[in-house]
Amino acid sequence: MSEEKKETKEFFHAVELDRDKCVGCTKCVRVCPTEAIRVREGKAVIDSTRCIDCSQCVKVCPVNALYIKSDPLSDIYKFKYRLAVISTSYESQFSEEIGYEKALKALLHLGFDEIAEQAMITNVTADIIRDYIRSHPQIRPVLSSNCPAIVRLVQVRFPSLVKNLLHIESPMSMLAKYYRDKIAREQGLKEDEIGIFLIVPSSSQITAVHQPEGTYKHLHDGAIAISEIYSQVMDIQKKLCDDDTEISSFANGLSWAISGMEAEEVAADDIETLAVSGIHNVIDILSNIESHRLDQYDYIELKNCQLGCVGGELNVENPFVAASRIKKIVKKTKRKEIDNDYFFRLYKEGYFDVEQLEPRSIMELDKDIRSALAKMKKVKEIEKMLPGLDCGVCGSPTCRALAEDIVQGRSKLDDCLVRLRRMKKKSEVK
Amino acid sequence: MGSEAAKSNHLSEYWDCLSSLEEKSKELITNPPEPEMQLDFTIEAKDYIKTGRASSEIKLFLKKLGVNPEILRRVAVASYEAEINVTAHSNGGTVLAYIYQDYILIIFEDTGPGIEDIERAMIPGFSTADELAREMGFGAGLGLPNIKKNSDLLYIRSGVGSNTYLAIMILFEDKQDV
Repeated sequence: MSEEKKETKEFFHAVELDRDKCVGCTKCVRVCPTEAIRVREGKAVIDSTRCIDCSQCVKVCPVNALYIKSDPLSDIYKFKYRLAVISTSYESQFSEEIGYEKALKALLHLGFDEIAEQAMITNVTADIIRDYIRSHPQIRPVLSSNCPAIVRLVQVRFPSLVKNLLHIESPMSMLAKYYRDKIAREQGLKEDEIGIFLIVPSSSQITAVHQPEGTYKHLHDGAIAISEIYSQVMDIQKKLCDDDTEISSFANGLSWAISGMEAEEVAADDIETLAVSGIHNVIDILSNIESHRLDQYDYIELKNCQLGCVGGELNVENPFVAASRIKKIVKKTKRKEIDNDYFFRLYKEGYFDVEQLEPRSIMELDKDIRSALAKMKKVKEIEKMLPGLDCGVCGSPTCRALAEDIVQGRSKLDDCLVRLRRMKKKSEVK
Repeated sequence: MGSEAAKSNHLSEYWDCLSSLEEKSKELITNPPEPEMQLDFTIEAKDYIKTGRASSEIKLFLKKLGVNPEILRRVAVASYEAEINVTAHSNGGTVLAYIYQDYILIIFEDTGPGIEDIERAMIPGFSTADELAREMGFGAGLGLPNIKKNSDLLYIRSGVGSNTYLAIMILFEDKQDV
């Protein structure tokens, strides 16, 4: 029974498909890093067990049939007390005239009661990561786990590396956990009166809020895309000229929105680090790690989006412009931190521990090695009959994938139009 | 583990395997049974950009079979090191991967110039890598020792002026040395 349950586990995805809009162009099929999409009867079909919500498909869809479902801002009003936990990329979406503090204040005007920034705890997060690395000498390299698309990529394509993932809550989840208890204590509120929402730059973070991996406890009530609230924030900002209330901000931590900054801060005399961004670059690196070719590194920062979180598809600003803004803000602002010691103590007490992550392998053709071998033989035979163009017209991403689909009973040899046409020509010649 | 080196003419042989495999080892290498499947590749000398392709393909193949991830990592390490050796030290060669239901046999054969002293090449840190290889980050002298560490059976036959033949066998089930 439990086995059956596991088999049919439903996966939540922020990436969704509007079948009516889909024209079956196969662009998404070819870019998907986990080969999760096929076009069947003229429409894209996403395999829920394979999708990691990296949003590569959303970026290439020419008709916006693939989209990312953000939680609506209106969800926050269901709660008496509302906390916004904001990603490091949020502030960089607004021009210098508007400024960092106004961007934060706008959130209060939107209906949030309090704001927590990921940037508040980047310093202590680096301390925590270093401690984790030093106390797990048997695991090298330790892989960053704060990008949910990467966690899922490792689970489905690199099962042997699941144990290398940093098994600690991500910074935004740490904040959510810490604040939920703090607000309940200080405001005397019940669990269900507190609404905690992440303001995020990427689809996989929305997925992670609705279906977290490894978390012990309910941490968030929703995730709102930066793009979802952008225009409202812009409108409010115009009215904020007279609002001169003081607001705390933690500019120095914003740099973590740029790939490489986390690795740089974690690095120490005894800790070698490396940073890689962009899903296809990450796949190359993971393949090398799997073959023990990068054992000299103690920590590797991996980010789905090119350039890091500033490259998130739910941002509005160009990633390079956003990155340059962050660098400017960091230079201009004095360093400020929250009570790092307290946070570190919480970590030491196991407050931010997560459950052991499980692999979710999608690679094997069959559970039984003998049957898989038999299938593989057929795959190779079929592959020889296919043109090897990887054109995707059949609806599978490559000729090899089509051969596998045929063997698994999901496609037919005649789905390859190139082959059909060549056969027809041959018979005409005869 | 038992290992032995024997000399015949100018050719030397090197054997290393799990003791449970000792009896069958010679038969497995010199007269391998018909494999379920076979993959073959060529390796160009000094082509450091394309090298690693064969071991990547082998790894991908084993993933599709659902081979235990830790075993898969051992195959990946051993085959990559062997592939690099052919790239760095030889005049080019071929890779043949024989896949069976419960193990993989990978044979690397190059076109010379051969290993002068296999026993010495097995010592960690010993290297004859040229400057180019070292600049590329190879040539630490850990290639062969690493292959030995990760395989259940290793056979090498070589000598100055002749081809090097290197065979690795790795069981899909983790069988402890008795």
